[in-house]
Amino acid sequence: MRLARRPPPPPGEPVVALINVAFILLIFFMLIGRLDATAPFALSPPLSTEGTPMPGGGMTIAVARDGRLALDGDDGDFAGVSARIRARLAVAPPGTTVRINADAAAPLGALLPIIALFDGRRDGDVVLVVAASGR
Amino acid sequence: MRLPRRQFAPRMSITSLIDLMLILLFFFMISSTYINLRMIPLVSAGAAAAGAVALDRPDRLLIRLGADGAPALAGGRVDHPSLRRIVAERLARDPRGAVLVLPSGGASTQALVSLLDTLAAAGARDVRLVRLEAR
Repeated sequence: MRLARRPPPPPGEPVVALINVAFILLIFFMLIGRLDATAPFALSPPLSTEGTPMPGGGMTIAVARDGRLALDGDDGDFAGVSARIRARLAVAPPGTTVRINADAAAPLGALLPIIALFDGRRDGDVVLVVAASGR
Repeated sequence: MRLPRRQFAPRMSITSLIDLMLILLFFFMISSTYINLRMIPLVSAGAAAAGAVALDRPDRLLIRLGADGAPALAGGRVDHPSLRRIVAERLARDPRGAVLVLPSGGASTQALVSLLDTLAAAGARDVRLVRLEAR
């Protein structure tokens, strides 16, 4: 009597290709992501055709569409945020960039007083964050 | 006689590696934004300090930005293509002429950015935001 041989186990799925693809995607998203301090509210920056590349670092002031303000993710009223801005600038190294991340629909009545805080600033740039749009 | 058993190196399980990598991949995929963020300089470290400016000097072009976002020149509303042409003609006569922007507090940030885009496209390099102050 011939005993039937057990069928060989099915070959395992090769996972090397999956790991390679997942690793490449992981590196891609790590490189394009920005882990900056975000605003505590949703905002979409205005579109611009003339913006220039933005440096990283510095401090970020967020202005919501309803005029709410935040400094590096901590919101507050104008007096509180402006006091924190002055305190941060007093200890910030020279050349610190200040980024104003305002919603496209934010009223200038909320944005202009923030810009006015930096009148006469000589040791660093103040920039408005915009999103690139095609011409 | 005992036959020597073949020694196999223990196989390292890579399941946890794949799990961790996929978790990181999902994190970066979800947290990444695909907006190409750029900047518009508002206050430059090397620029002259802000101060009082005269609005009625003939070498300065004053553009008002209304609460509805429409620019106005010499009291009349003007669309962006016409404004670009006017500013370009003005700068062709006086390349060092400054352009002053007097924005309304009710205008949106997008309206200001669009105006700055138009002025930059017309070749204006000396653009200043002005605000009225009580004396």
